[in-house]
Amino acid sequence: MRYAKMAASATTPMAPSSGGSASALSMEEIRALTDLSDLEAAYSRLCAEEKAVEEELEMLLNQQCSIESKMTALHRIGPNLQLIEGDAKQLAGTITFTCNLAENVSSKVRQLDLAKNRLYQAIQRADDILDLKFCMDGVQTALRNEDYEQAAAHIHRYLSLDKSVIELSRQGREGSIIEANLELLQEAEQRLKIIVTKKFDEATRQEDLPQVERFFKIFPLLGLHEEGLSNFSEYLCKQVANKAEENLQLVMKTDMSDRRAAVIFADTLTLLFEGIARIVETHQPIVETYYGPGRLYTLIKHLQVECDRQVEKVVDKFIQQRDYHRQFQHVQNSMMRSSAVERIEPRELDPILTEVTLMNARSELYLRFIKRRIVSDFEVGDSMASEEVKQEHQKCLDKLLNNCLLSRTMQELIGYYITMEEYFMRETVNKAVAMDTCEKGQLTSSMVDDVFYIVKKCIGRALSSSSIDCLCAMINHSITELESDFGEVLCNKLKMGFPATTFQDFQRGVTSAVSLMHSSLQQGKFDTKGIESTDEAKQSFLVTLNNLEVCSENIMTLKKTLESDCAKLLQQGFGGEQAQPKIDSCLSDMAAISHKFRDLLQEGLNELTNSAIKPQVKPWINLFLSVSHNIEEEEFNDYEANDPWVQQFILNLEQQMAEFKVGLSLVIYDSLTSLMTTLIAIEMEKVVLKSTFSRLGGLQFDKELRSLIAYLTTVTTWTIRDKFARLSQMATILNLERVTEILDYWGPNSGPLTWRLTPAEVRQVLALRIDFRSEDIKRLRL
Amino acid sequence: MKTTLLHVVPPVSRDRIISHFPKWYTPEACLQFKDHFHTQVGSACQRRNTGAVGLKISKVVVVGDLYVGKTSLINRFCKDVFDRDYKATIGVDFEIERFEIAGVPYSLQIWDTAGQEKFKCIASAYYRGAEIIITVFDLADIQTLDHTKQWLQDALRENEPGSSFIFLVGTKKDLVSTAACERTELDAIHYANEMQAEYWSVSAKTGENVREFFSRVAALAFEKSMLMELEKSNSRMAQIGAGNLINIEGTSLEASETNHQANVGCC
Repeated sequence: MRYAKMAASATTPMAPSSGGSASALSMEEIRALTDLSDLEAAYSRLCAEEKAVEEELEMLLNQQCSIESKMTALHRIGPNLQLIEGDAKQLAGTITFTCNLAENVSSKVRQLDLAKNRLYQAIQRADDILDLKFCMDGVQTALRNEDYEQAAAHIHRYLSLDKSVIELSRQGREGSIIEANLELLQEAEQRLKIIVTKKFDEATRQEDLPQVERFFKIFPLLGLHEEGLSNFSEYLCKQVANKAEENLQLVMKTDMSDRRAAVIFADTLTLLFEGIARIVETHQPIVETYYGPGRLYTLIKHLQVECDRQVEKVVDKFIQQRDYHRQFQHVQNSMMRSSAVERIEPRELDPILTEVTLMNARSELYLRFIKRRIVSDFEVGDSMASEEVKQEHQKCLDKLLNNCLLSRTMQELIGYYITMEEYFMRETVNKAVAMDTCEKGQLTSSMVDDVFYIVKKCIGRALSSSSIDCLCAMINHSITELESDFGEVLCNKLKMGFPATTFQDFQRGVTSAVSLMHSSLQQGKFDTKGIESTDEAKQSFLVTLNNLEVCSENIMTLKKTLESDCAKLLQQGFGGEQAQPKIDSCLSDMAAISHKFRDLLQEGLNELTNSAIKPQVKPWINLFLSVSHNIEEEEFNDYEANDPWVQQFILNLEQQMAEFKVGLSLVIYDSLTSLMTTLIAIEMEKVVLKSTFSRLGGLQFDKELRSLIAYLTTVTTWTIRDKFARLSQMATILNLERVTEILDYWGPNSGPLTWRLTPAEVRQVLALRIDFRSEDIKRLRL
Repeated sequence: MKTTLLHVVPPVSRDRIISHFPKWYTPEACLQFKDHFHTQVGSACQRRNTGAVGLKISKVVVVGDLYVGKTSLINRFCKDVFDRDYKATIGVDFEIERFEIAGVPYSLQIWDTAGQEKFKCIASAYYRGAEIIITVFDLADIQTLDHTKQWLQDALRENEPGSSFIFLVGTKKDLVSTAACERTELDAIHYANEMQAEYWSVSAKTGENVREFFSRVAALAFEKSMLMELEKSNSRMAQIGAGNLINIEGTSLEASETNHQANVGCC
């Protein structure tokens, strides 16, 4: 048994039945064993293996009965399976049958549906044929009764019938009857068309508006939209023409003393435009109702032709009566600045310029009106249309608006207007400059107000034309005028300089005289009125400074006003897409001019400081040098009683500035005093560095500086402490007890005080004290 | 213009960014030979030390006979479209084109004037203050070249001498053969030299040279206005040293105010 087991295990050494530990021991291995312990070990292992195998066998034997019972159960199921197979086959058969049945049924339903549809079509056709018959009968009776609306309605019905239906009916059994009917119908249609056209013409001839409108409404029913609109607009045009003719006749008879005589042509245009607008207004509903939306363009296109014709007549009359072209020629010749031609008086141009702008404004208003109407009409009509159709319509509209004779004529008129307005402005400005006067007590002279009144008027007039291009052009011209002509006048006045007074150095007087001569020669005439007295010259210089300031401000005000005016204009829908940037660009140039005037003012102030203040102030400050600051107690007290310098200096300053305070505006005066204080600070520094001081002298200087600063603070609105910071610090240094005391204020001890003096300068100032030893100063570590 | 600053400005499209100095068309008639920005301008741009950013704008005026293609040239550049139909310009048209040059935003304000005689009055009102004058003629119509001198004269009359760059542009290059174009160009270069202008041949229909041309215009205008700006700020600096100008008062006033307060604190 053991051997058998062993043999089995040897032949199937790795068989799973031998458990996890396959019998690793082969016969040879066992035979090879010699050691007892090894043998025992092998034995025990084999025993264990045997045991395991036995257990396994036992388990398998135990399962046998359950497996057997399962087998019997399986045998019992066998016949049932056969039964199921038969059932399944039967089911499949049923399903196939049902499927076939369903298909049969649905095909019948389909056939039924088809039949139904054909039935409907047949009914429709029968209806149509009945309609056709009805229409035909109706047309005949309606025509007989002269009920054209009814007849047209029948024709409309016939026209809207499906043509293929009619074609099909013709092929039917009753083809011949229907054919005859159709012929009758077509004949009736032709007849009706002729009748309607004739009746319409008749109505137009008799100017019978109800009849005109009656037949106008019939056209679209007959599919004659274009004809209807063109016939109708022809009628309307005739009315417009009649009215316009009447108005023009009235104009020719108008008395020149009439209140509106000056703008009579603008009024005539207004009447014309209003008439057309009224026509559009009253007839738009009819067109919309009977012709559908999107047709207004056609009507207005026809009307515009007549409008152009009438505008041309009015404008021709205007040009003829007002001598517009000749005036323009005249202006152009005058612009060439050749004195040979008699210059045209600008005032004469005034009414005509106003009239032209008014005419243009009216045209713009009218064009905007029709544009708005057409756009909204297209919008309704094109709500379903493709993008291309919309663009095509937009293009047509733009073409109508831009290419109509009205726009072109107005553009031409405005072109001439701009040149004439420019001339008007230039001449009037020159006149205002020539008549410039300055009344006593006035800070500015008359020309500033006059010139700005003129510029404002001209730009305002351009604005009133409602044409953005025209406005921008005039803004540009105004800027040029202000910059070149008017600016030059002010500039030349400044160039004359502030005249030298007796105190001033001779040199200065000579240069100013030379520049005076020079500028007079430049102006082309020797200004005999010129400068009769220095007082007058002074006055003129100060007035010019004030003028510059006011000009600069006026320009900014003008710019602001224009900005808001333009915003209003644009809000009303005038001007194209680029109108806003156009205006912005022109107005920004205006600001630049304002700055230019301000710069010029600054230059003038510098000139004034250099020529009038500096030559006076410098000697006064130099007097400081003649007052010794190397003083003892006694002199110090004496100085206290009889001020040696500063009071007189302040007095002098006050006297000098009084003249400017009266003659200059507050802002300019402030700027001037500020320039003056800067000058004083610089000059004072120079003289201080040239003086020597004792301890008490330093104290004296400190007192003097304090009173000077106190005085200057009262005359300026700006703080001047900063300008005198260096001087104050010098005074502090000159007031020291000992040299080393400076260290209490210097470097880390300076606290909030910022030193404006460099260490070298501090040493230099310290050296001014005669009682400070230079070794001590040198030894200082700053 | 301040209001535009408040809006969020969309970035400039890529083909409007100029980082290298654009070249001339022909060396025989060009305003400048150099191929890089002025060193001062270049460094100022790098430092972003360009003053009020976004406000730089130059005015360009386009003049020339009617039907030479002024509007087409501008439309090709600004809108990249070409319309075969001729539509006469009424008065003036106007476009603003934004660039970014050497990292600095810059705009050209292009005024497109009408060539028709009847609009001369209105168009000429817009010539003033033009930094750039572009005189346009038709390469296929030699007469229009003859007229450019008159157009330029009119435009220069409204401007300070030497204040504007002048360009002479031949359009409709696509309509003439290469040989004919070269012949006309010889004449045109001769004219350009007399006018002290830079010459360009372009075609608005095919777009040939259009972008290059406007880039050149923008770069030259930009450099000039930057140089002027720098000069101005330099002179301003010098004046601050001299201390005799009112407009410095504003700043020194503030400084003194703070000083003043500090002093008070000390006491």
